[in-house]
Amino acid sequence: MDVKLRINEVEVEAQKGEYLLDVARRAGFEIPSLCHHEAVKPIGSCRVCLVEVKAGKKTSLTTSCNYTIEGGEEVTTDSGLIRRMRAINLELLLARAPGSKRVRELAQEYGVSRPRFPPVEDSWLPNCILCELCVRVCEELGHNALSTQGRGDEKKIGLPFNKPAESCVGCGSCYSVCPTGCILMKDTAVDRTIWGQKFDFVRCKQCGAPVITEKHRAFAIENKGLPENYYDLCESCKQADASKRFAAVAWQD
Amino acid sequence: MHSGAGLLGRSRIKVHPVGPERFVQVTCLQCVEAACAQVCPTQALVRNPDTGALEVNASRCIGCGLCEAACPFGHMHFDTELRLAVKCDLCGGRPACATFCPHNALEWR
Repeated sequence: MDVKLRINEVEVEAQKGEYLLDVARRAGFEIPSLCHHEAVKPIGSCRVCLVEVKAGKKTSLTTSCNYTIEGGEEVTTDSGLIRRMRAINLELLLARAPGSKRVRELAQEYGVSRPRFPPVEDSWLPNCILCELCVRVCEELGHNALSTQGRGDEKKIGLPFNKPAESCVGCGSCYSVCPTGCILMKDTAVDRTIWGQKFDFVRCKQCGAPVITEKHRAFAIENKGLPENYYDLCESCKQADASKRFAAVAWQD
Repeated sequence: MHSGAGLLGRSRIKVHPVGPERFVQVTCLQCVEAACAQVCPTQALVRNPDTGALEVNASRCIGCGLCEAACPFGHMHFDTELRLAVKCDLCGGRPACATFCPHNALEWR
């Protein structure tokens, strides 16, 4: 730890260049966030993690998720001003994502239950707050299927040209990380539909249960270096097989 | 034990019958060269140096489900509600299963 800073009057150690949100949370301070995920780079899109940072003579209200620490800062993570600013942002977010349980609950914590703004209608993807977590995760995974399109109030997220794409393998990670739950994914016993594309599941060779999508399996075989047959069985059948193998060793009769 | 729910389906140790009156308990083998850790795209599976267990760092997990598909013994689980990988973590060093077993069939050394 090569630098020091003060958060809420407490001296904290950090590495120069670390993100303030990570350091604050590590030190036990709570800062809310929506578009933040440890596995991907922060972009400060949701504006919920705002904190006050005094660096030298300048004090600014900034997103902590992507503020890189220099050392010597005085940070406040909670104050009347910060609460008001977070509340305003949450009010706007709530108007855009009224169907999101997580946004509703966070907004409620900050005293917002009915936004002054009318809910967004005819949205490309209802309840999407354009946090781009899905895009960042898809990129991190190496698929690069999702991206932002357009700018300003016409900005939206989707597959290239909004058509079924080779790059999407149907892994469902975007669905898993989405903070508002706006991405639609439907799994049946045999296939998955997401972003308007249908993906067949690999079916367990013994019992036919779905494992992962065929395309995801193909991607894993190509990139992860494990034998192909690792993906042939569902977890229950793998356990049953393993237990038979252990039994053969444990009871030698 | 982990979710406090007492749900058989959420247990991270399972018992499989392999013959008349013969049962094998199966749970994570905490593999030295773990398939789950190898496929994880975000390095969310990390070794706990105190317990030796491989643990899921839930804040790094992006819910892709590859680990569940890759584990050759069927011991990575994917919680489809939480959209997170879940696995035996030796309960932080004092496995509840071994502690509980009234017949001492499970031993943790």
